[in-house]
Amino acid sequence: MKAQKKFTSKWLSRIFGVLILGIIAYSIYAYKPSIEPIAPNSLPDYDPAVIERGRLMVAAGYCAVCHTEKGGAPYAGNYAMETDFGTIYSTNITPDREQGIGSWSEAAFIRAMREGVDREGRHLFPAFPYNHFAKMSEQDIVATYAFIMTQVKPAQVTQRNNELPFPLNLRYLQAGWKLISVDLKPYQPHSEKSDMWNRGAYLVEGIAHCGACHTPRNVIGAERNSEKFEGAIIDDWIAPALSANNESSLAWSAAEFSQYLKTGATVQHGVAIGPMAPVVHAGLRELPDSDLTAIGIYLADLAGNVDTEATSTAIIAASLDQGKPNQTYRWDAGERLYATACASCHYNVEQIALGRPDLGVNSATNLNQPDNLIHAILDGVDNESGISGVVMPSFRDALNDQEIAQIAAYLRNSRTDHEPWTELQQRITDIRQSTQYKRGQ
Amino acid sequence: MFKQKNFKKSADLSQLTRRGFLIAMTATGATFGFRGPAHAAMTLSSDAFPAGPDGETFEPTLWYGINENGQVNVNIIRAEMGQHVGTAIARILADELEVDWKDVQITHVDSGEKWGLMVTGGSWSVWQSWPIYRQAGAAGRMALIETAAKKWGIDPAECQARDGIVTGGGKTISYGEIVATGLSRSYTEDELKALPLKPNSELRLVGKDVTALDIANKTNGQAIYGIDAKIEGMVYAVPLLPPTRIGSSVVSIDDSGAEGMQGYHKTLQLDDPSGTVPGWVVVLGTSLMAAKKAAKQVVVKWQAGDTAKVSEADIQAHARQLINDPKVGSILDTGNTDTTTAFKQASTSLEAEYTTSTVLHFQLEPVNATAFQNDEGVWEIHTGNQWQSLILPSLAKALGVEQNKVIMRTYMLGGGFGRRLNGDYAVPAALASKAIGGKPVKLVLFREDDTLFDSPRSPSVQKLRMAFDQQKSIIGMEHHAAAGWPTQVMVPSFMPKGTNDEPYDPFAIDGADHWYSVGAQLVRPISNDLANRTFRPGWLRSVGPGWTHFAVESFMDEAAHKIGADPLKFRLDHLLAEGYNAGSAPNAVGGAARQAHVLKRVADLSSYGKAELEKDTAIGIATSFGQSRNMPTWVAGAVKVHVDRASGVVDVQKIWLVFDCGTVIDPNGARAQCEGAALWGLSMALYEGTRIENSNVRDRNLNTYTPLRMIDTPEMEIEFIDSSEAPVGLGEPGTTVIAPAIANAIFNAVGVRMRHLPISPDDISAALTER
Amino acid sequence: MIKLKINGRDVQIDAEPDTPLLWVLRDEIGLTGTKYGCGIGMCGACTVHVGGQATRSCITTLAAVDGTEITTIEGLDAEHNHPVQEAWQELRVPQCGYCQSGQIMQAAALLNDIPNPTDDDIDAVMTGNLCRCMTYPRIRQAVRQAAAAKREI
Repeated sequence: MKAQKKFTSKWLSRIFGVLILGIIAYSIYAYKPSIEPIAPNSLPDYDPAVIERGRLMVAAGYCAVCHTEKGGAPYAGNYAMETDFGTIYSTNITPDREQGIGSWSEAAFIRAMREGVDREGRHLFPAFPYNHFAKMSEQDIVATYAFIMTQVKPAQVTQRNNELPFPLNLRYLQAGWKLISVDLKPYQPHSEKSDMWNRGAYLVEGIAHCGACHTPRNVIGAERNSEKFEGAIIDDWIAPALSANNESSLAWSAAEFSQYLKTGATVQHGVAIGPMAPVVHAGLRELPDSDLTAIGIYLADLAGNVDTEATSTAIIAASLDQGKPNQTYRWDAGERLYATACASCHYNVEQIALGRPDLGVNSATNLNQPDNLIHAILDGVDNESGISGVVMPSFRDALNDQEIAQIAAYLRNSRTDHEPWTELQQRITDIRQSTQYKRGQ
Repeated sequence: MFKQKNFKKSADLSQLTRRGFLIAMTATGATFGFRGPAHAAMTLSSDAFPAGPDGETFEPTLWYGINENGQVNVNIIRAEMGQHVGTAIARILADELEVDWKDVQITHVDSGEKWGLMVTGGSWSVWQSWPIYRQAGAAGRMALIETAAKKWGIDPAECQARDGIVTGGGKTISYGEIVATGLSRSYTEDELKALPLKPNSELRLVGKDVTALDIANKTNGQAIYGIDAKIEGMVYAVPLLPPTRIGSSVVSIDDSGAEGMQGYHKTLQLDDPSGTVPGWVVVLGTSLMAAKKAAKQVVVKWQAGDTAKVSEADIQAHARQLINDPKVGSILDTGNTDTTTAFKQASTSLEAEYTTSTVLHFQLEPVNATAFQNDEGVWEIHTGNQWQSLILPSLAKALGVEQNKVIMRTYMLGGGFGRRLNGDYAVPAALASKAIGGKPVKLVLFREDDTLFDSPRSPSVQKLRMAFDQQKSIIGMEHHAAAGWPTQVMVPSFMPKGTNDEPYDPFAIDGADHWYSVGAQLVRPISNDLANRTFRPGWLRSVGPGWTHFAVESFMDEAAHKIGADPLKFRLDHLLAEGYNAGSAPNAVGGAARQAHVLKRVADLSSYGKAELEKDTAIGIATSFGQSRNMPTWVAGAVKVHVDRASGVVDVQKIWLVFDCGTVIDPNGARAQCEGAALWGLSMALYEGTRIENSNVRDRNLNTYTPLRMIDTPEMEIEFIDSSEAPVGLGEPGTTVIAPAIANAIFNAVGVRMRHLPISPDDISAALTER
Repeated sequence: MIKLKINGRDVQIDAEPDTPLLWVLRDEIGLTGTKYGCGIGMCGACTVHVGGQATRSCITTLAAVDGTEITTIEGLDAEHNHPVQEAWQELRVPQCGYCQSGQIMQAAALLNDIPNPTDDDIDAVMTGNLCRCMTYPRIRQAVRQAAAAKREI
């Protein structure tokens, strides 16, 4: 008996010892010192070219989208992100000295972007996609800093407390998360690929952080590198796969990607709405054409998409043919509702007009989930989304859940070769409910 | 009456508000002047007719005036709802008056006692206006010629009037110049009737191609409808409708949910001495949207009327019960009504029941009215309406004033179709205005409220019986029809009496008194009191004939098939134009012979019975006399359909129609009316219909109520018989033959007989399966 | 404050952002040519152009059109002589006329996108516009006529 006790206590003490050592080691690893604040009005005199570069970086990273609350001052934070772990509010990154990053030095900013640690040494939650920003060159990060510090208006807005349960709210644990989840090395060019390809990759993997939405995450919230760009659910919307597994009937060519990011719409795929709208309209469209072309080249190559005009013409022709009016339309509820409420805008002949998205080839109709289509029908497309200057009305108050389901099912079944969506009407009811807040906006 | 001074006096009343109203009314400001052909020369008020510099006008009758510039203004009491009635009537007058069309303008007048009965419906306008306006025009022409002749010292017979100028003895003088000299001449009724009228061959406007005066403004957004009315300082009202149209009363109103809402004004429980809108509550707001939003938050509890649970099935079951009760119903005077004997003697007989569903008006402009009390203390109601004379007494009663203290301002109608014959929607606007001290209130019924508040076409049950002798001749026919009676509930004094002294609603039986010679003929209209208690039955385009002819003409085919006769020959054999069916002057000259003529013509046109058609494709025919025996419009229709056996879907491939409507006033407009009427018939035959559920119509908007659309429109071929007989109406007759022609075509195509409207693919499939 | 261009004029509207554009046009601006028929986007009486595309204004919010260019029937053509309007007048298309603003706006947009429409095309695009007077045969004819007229220009 005594021997057993001794044995147990010996091992316990060893385990305990290892644990303590581990914690000490971890704490050493996790410890980040505070960086001295800079003195007021002590910013270097940035070259206008640097600031302009920073403007483009900020556009490419569409920082304002996550760092601005609805109706709030730009970049002043408090944008709520509903994660699986709880609600996180973005930080105030205006140059305000008390509430924003006005006291941050270049080094502090670089560390935040590369390592996810703030000036005072606290770990940032990976809702901030520093795993992507880590890939940026120092030059680009500094330009970003220059733009924010000189062009953004300081706003004295206090950040709201995050609503994360214990122990998820412990920043200290984020270091461990980083250890197992992310690669923080800067971008390494692939020499066998073209300059444009590398430029595209640099932007996509870096500042544009596409994977933050388009790559599914694991249970602890890290992007699954093995499923890069396979699509994910963001805020009740589907961020479609950017890979070869994209469900659209037409492949995304390099030109399609570029066009989409430049204008928010393409005839072959439809329009950018929901969370994607500001990515284009408040962001990427500012980039020079060459950058957008580069992004397209990279993404298309990653997905293995080759632009074959013959195939796309045939598919489009087939879809247009299926969209022809039908004398017996009124005997199927979905078809009748579509013909009465939708066809006048969505009908095309010979070729698809940009302002008349064809619903057969449209991404929304082809995705495995109906969510994006449901959103579009419920809330339409405003002037801040999709094609500039053109809008789609919202049918939230015009059609009930059953009617929307009938239209969606009709489109799915008659215009695509995919399996019908299951539990479609319930999904509509759920999304209608969860987007109630949109009324009055 | 005919001196400008007098006219102006009656026009002085509320001059100020009219001017204000006029400017608000049109996008381009004042509409007094005459315009070229590109613009509508049309005003919507009884305001001052533009007089020349010395203010001289000549008004030989109430219906028009000429000023010293030779410009003619014609007063129109009919509502403009797309039939271009003002243009038609003005042409009738202008033709007799011998003026140039470009000098003519029309004024759709506001309500006023001097105008007499103001109603627009029944396809009556042209028919009723024809003699009156011709006389009026002739009167003016005679007076002008006489004055010129006197001035020149020659015999009036030596003078001629043409295009606004009198010529005679080598001299000429324009109408304007004659008027400027100061002309007054009045005519008695007898003198008017004795005036010489132009023979048809000399008509130069009637029957010719003229663009209606209201069209231009309807292509540029400038036509003003009731819903566009704008009165300075108006508040907006939306209703909260009770659970039953009749008999509900408010128990409690809780508007706490609306309090503090942007633009919310107040909620009113309407106190209605006229009994037009029992149980109504209205919510007022400073904008329409504010009122609408607030209304959603107001909670009203009602004590429902006792028809709260009544369904369409109940109403139809009750109809059948009534038909089987020999004690009820009226009997029309059709000559020999003793069918009992005929059926006793019959060798064979046939019986069939036909039913129709409730139909909504769904006029595209939902009902609305703007009301206020003007500075002279007169209540002004601004709305589009088809029967001012009918609602004025109710308005006066509701407001507690004399009728001459209420005036209805005329607007364009965004669709009448009979809905706006019942002006009930004007009463709550007036009451709301009264409740806030006479300030202007604009009441708008959004679509779901409009349909809930419709006066729909009542569902109907008809039982037809025919008796044949051994030679297969018809010796007797019965037609029993039970439905809600619009005339009974709205204006019972309009109901004539049957041979059994029972009053009946002609708009719920016309059509059953057909022109076929059938021996003994019993036509028995029955009032469905359950329908009348549950909703306000309405007059809906083609009224009774819209469903009675469905029964008659389906039945004629059934009867023909029963005795092995060809349906066309069968009909022609019984359109004998003898005795009761011989016809009479001036409106029914030729009687049944004219019906036979159009029937033959449409059979020729469509190659009925002769065309080689594909499988399951056939043509069906039907004929009717339009709206009523005393104003028959002879119509025949043929419809080619293909029936898909698998789905029961009917593909309507072509419609042929032949009309004999006497003199055609406006060929282009006539064709337009016939096209529209025919498509209404098609829509009601196959595509639209609703049901009463819990006292109210089940379908409230276009998500479930599905009238005919562009893609449903088939090819149509329409022909008019050249005739100089008296003109009769065209707004409705085209509707009456379509449903039976389709039913007959379906039978010819696939052998099933459909006896319910609307005919649905499911019904056809079921019938095909049963066979 | 929502800023738009309506018929070429810059306008600022201070109304609830969820106000349907239709009622902004009719009640706030006073352009009553655009009509209300059903409120659920299924009759087309409310059709205007937003950025040149036909749009059902009864279910389009003011907020959604912030910064866009709107054309109503009143502004389709300065002289009201757009080829569609001319065809409508020549063929005497309107009866009661209530739906016609919407029909004309829809037809004008149709011809911009599909200059040579077949009957199928007309069916597909115009079927959403209800005409209760059922002037459809003439609408169809007028669209064809306007298309031909435009091609000649």
